[in-house]
Amino acid sequence: MSEVGETDAEGRGSPRAALRRVDGEVILLWTLPVAVTLWVACFFLFPGFNPPMSPTMPAEQVAAFYRDPAHLPEIRYSMIVFNWFGVCLVPILTLIVLQIRRMAHRTPIFSYAMLGCVAGAPTLFLVANVCWLLAAFRPERSPELTQLLNDFGWITFTILVPFLIGQSVILAVAIYFDDQPRPVFNRWVAHFNLLVAAALVPAAFVGVALTGPLAWDGFLSFWLKNVAIAVWIVVMGVVLGQAVYRERAEYRQQGEELVTA
Amino acid sequence: MSEVGEARKRVRFVPGQPDMWAFVFFETLVFTGYFGFYLFYRARSPELFLQAQAQLDLRIGVFNTLVLLLSSWSVARCVQSSRAGAYRPALKDAFLTAFFGAVFMVSKVLEWATQIHLGNGFASNDFFTYYYFLTGIHFVHLLIGFVVLGVVIYQLRSPARRSQELIETCATYWHTVDFLWVLIFALLYVVR
Amino acid sequence: MSAVLTPPASAATPPSGPLHHRIAWHLRHNPKRELWLAWWTVVVFYNLFFPVFFIVAQVQPPPQPTWDLATQVHWFHERQLGIPIGFGIIFAIGGMTAINNALIAYSMRRMSVSRAFAYSYLIIYSLSAIPGLYLLCIALIVGTLRPERDPEAVGWLYDFAFLSFDGTMGVFLIGSLIWMLAILLDKNRVFPKWFGYLNLCNALTEVVVAPCWIFRRGVLAWNGQIAWWLDMVVFGVYQITFIVMLFQMIRREDFGTGPLPDLPRKPKVDRSDVEAAA
Repeated sequence: MSEVGETDAEGRGSPRAALRRVDGEVILLWTLPVAVTLWVACFFLFPGFNPPMSPTMPAEQVAAFYRDPAHLPEIRYSMIVFNWFGVCLVPILTLIVLQIRRMAHRTPIFSYAMLGCVAGAPTLFLVANVCWLLAAFRPERSPELTQLLNDFGWITFTILVPFLIGQSVILAVAIYFDDQPRPVFNRWVAHFNLLVAAALVPAAFVGVALTGPLAWDGFLSFWLKNVAIAVWIVVMGVVLGQAVYRERAEYRQQGEELVTA
Repeated sequence: MSEVGEARKRVRFVPGQPDMWAFVFFETLVFTGYFGFYLFYRARSPELFLQAQAQLDLRIGVFNTLVLLLSSWSVARCVQSSRAGAYRPALKDAFLTAFFGAVFMVSKVLEWATQIHLGNGFASNDFFTYYYFLTGIHFVHLLIGFVVLGVVIYQLRSPARRSQELIETCATYWHTVDFLWVLIFALLYVVR
Repeated sequence: MSAVLTPPASAATPPSGPLHHRIAWHLRHNPKRELWLAWWTVVVFYNLFFPVFFIVAQVQPPPQPTWDLATQVHWFHERQLGIPIGFGIIFAIGGMTAINNALIAYSMRRMSVSRAFAYSYLIIYSLSAIPGLYLLCIALIVGTLRPERDPEAVGWLYDFAFLSFDGTMGVFLIGSLIWMLAILLDKNRVFPKWFGYLNLCNALTEVVVAPCWIFRRGVLAWNGQIAWWLDMVVFGVYQITFIVMLFQMIRREDFGTGPLPDLPRKPKVDRSDVEAAA
């Protein structure tokens, strides 16, 4: 019994070869727009993002931010909803892993590497999320401790890029190596992913300064990083959807050929 | 060259897999490192170490050493029997080795309990840090030894298996456990 | 289902000429290009990783657990730029570890043992990077962020970082044992048995590091001669060995499911290796 995605010597055309089970993938795919809507809503709800909190705020000001009665519910509810739906990206990334398995590679190395990346970013995001929720839980805490939690949350949130850079580069290389007449993803998707990876690199250097473009509220570490992630999610969502639907159409066609054969 | 032919060729030069001997050599190097640190720090504070060492019961140490030496003897007998094709005695010897190993294990745990009762814990003083560390890491090797004996017993049980090379490899490992204990015994209990 | 990549019928020979031409040819035509790309990624990663930790950020060898808070604050102050820049590099290239793990998982898939070994290893190591590497880097970065921070908070970050590094070895312990078990059970001779035993040595070394949670001084502290120095030596030997072992495996790879063929012993390795690759 061949495992999902096993290289089949007779190719996909053989009617006897086990077709990949694709039921339910469309449902998983359509969870993405729902998740994105929730994330965007929470993003704008969290007062720390609009505008992004400055790293130069002294401890007293940070404590005041968390003690502000107008901010508290916004912080808590946005972060709680983020907490629930933070991992919603994982099924989508897994669908991409399965599409990589369809590419013309000799080994499953790229899908393994991609799989290794998928859980990382949501996990680090959850750490940041917990830090902010902790800071908001006992706002009467000493300002230095609140500032420490806030710092930890912000640095983690900004610096969670290694998995995202990794998955973009791996996907790009996988696409470049996908030598078939009709590749799973078009070449421009690979170029796009490399561009996104490059855009995410500056955020890794968030610890260098408290002001300027690299600071966690700066142009490179906040705006470029988050916009790049947002654009990646939208573009990959569409491209993935096309690939998934195309695959289903091909299976339906094969099924019809079987019947008419 | 066939697997059997290669195995027979290897048996002539070294018992068991040469790979296991590489492992033995590496582990011995690492333990030499541990012993080196022990001796170095012992030389730095000889009175403390002597005082702490006096708390150890030499008789238990001797007993443990005897038990492991007996286990080495029984595992060597096991290898001999299996080489001669006498698999039932070999199996009995393997179980005997495991029995001796278990005796050692119980004795060691009791000794640790006694020392803790006396107030000598892992972090009590430098000597006892080394004591628990060395006997502890040796204990881990002993536990692995039980798995290894399990492999021997598994091999001996069914005529479909009974790879002489594997049995000798496992025996080599068991002898290493014994050998390392003798060194630890000498350092911790005897050298005063 | 993956599509099939049919190799060219003729034995393709790489062109002679400038290095970048040859690399480009290999990237386009070498049937093992995925494996070689993965292997070179591993080499590049470790060549960046160790200099960053030892030279740029200067967080290894680790400082002492016994320092008072003022000294710890001073230690952070000295590395105010080195740590964020060095770890910035680590976070930028961190994705390479996924390729490292994928290559090792692939080696287990090539073996005759169950896929469970490859997947377990992949998951364990993928997640291990967070408590074992990233969180501690974040803690150190946060430590350098504000020189005026309360020394007690800095002390907490200091402990968190160095104990995370030495004290989360359980991951590598179990991971090494899984690889060891796969190698010892393997009938495809992907790796020699002594390499399996070396994995056991590495696993045992990780056990030895655990007392760093108990001791603040001496050989078993997080900077101790046994818990750090000896551990690093064993770990270094292990790293270099497994990189060489993966190299050998890729050279021998025939993309089959049976025993991996040995490398030809004749000095004319180039021609036979190319023919084997065809």
